[in-house]
Amino acid sequence: MGKAVYKVEGGKMIKVALTQRDGKIEWLKITGDFFLHPEDLIEEMERILISSSIEEIDISNSIEGLMKKRNGTLVGVAPADIARCIMMAGDSDG
Amino acid sequence: MVEDWRFLDTGANDAYYNMALDEAIATARSKGRVPNTIRFFRWKPSAVSIGYFQGMEEEIDIAACRSLGVDYIRRITGGGAVYHDYNGELTYSILVDEANNLVPKDVLRSYDVLCSGLVIGLSLLGIPAEFKPINDIIVAGRKISGNAQTRRMSVVHQHGTILREVDPDVMYTLLKVPSEKIRDKLIKSAKDRVTSISGYLGREVGFGELKAALRDGFERAFNVRLVEGKTVEYEEELANQLRVKYASREWNFKR
Repeated sequence: MGKAVYKVEGGKMIKVALTQRDGKIEWLKITGDFFLHPEDLIEEMERILISSSIEEIDISNSIEGLMKKRNGTLVGVAPADIARCIMMAGDSDG
Repeated sequence: MVEDWRFLDTGANDAYYNMALDEAIATARSKGRVPNTIRFFRWKPSAVSIGYFQGMEEEIDIAACRSLGVDYIRRITGGGAVYHDYNGELTYSILVDEANNLVPKDVLRSYDVLCSGLVIGLSLLGIPAEFKPINDIIVAGRKISGNAQTRRMSVVHQHGTILREVDPDVMYTLLKVPSEKIRDKLIKSAKDRVTSISGYLGREVGFGELKAALRDGFERAFNVRLVEGKTVEYEEELANQLRVKYASREWNFKR
């Protein structure tokens, strides 16, 4: 399993745990002390990222797209920060 | 014209009831059953709360909590882990209609506005507190209050902690540290980063004095009159139902 912790400068902490197969996310959990409104969007974010390629730009765009579609607000972290942490977790794995 | 808001002091309850009542008040407010409300409360037994997005086992030493008789609970709001010491800490909640002129649409700005009640309240005690984005209140560079907000059903719901006294040794026994080797270092640095009302003033400030100052601070900052009130039956019944969720393993360990 890959794990990473990323503290956003002037922002909040993101922790990612994931497993991957053939360059794709097989399972992941995003935790941390950030804010997301509405809160249950986090489960949907994890769901849409499963099976996606571990590509920083694509992951960032997927999260940003979800925020727009669901009128979500991230506080203390940006979609690009979550994508960065996911890449770090991917790199730490194997 | 000065608006009337309801003021509730719900005393000390366990973690599950405390968080259930917060959600019940928010729901009652959204249905128009109760006015905008400010609530003060304490935690008995002492408890740790984690943010909605945090992992319980990642953040909290469950075995340490059990051996010290400290409850652990997941909040409805994001943010970080907090130790709610029965003797050391006061918690407040603000439940206000999202359409109220007081509340900016922008979440970041609204923290500043809603925290201003605490900042003024602390200044009345002689503490030169200031808001520090994103969601903290600091005095002389050290944290004295952490705050967290959610917005549901057209209600802005913010709660937060005010440290009357703080013991970093206990805090870092309950909260997990990255490795045992750095526990002492973290405790030491917490002593530099965190302060409390009694610690800053160098005198004991009781809960009564603290609550009176903060209540006054909220009235001045929000230009409202806080009218002593009671929870309504709807809130109490809903809180008793919601308590089951907050006490469940399913909720507390869901992340």
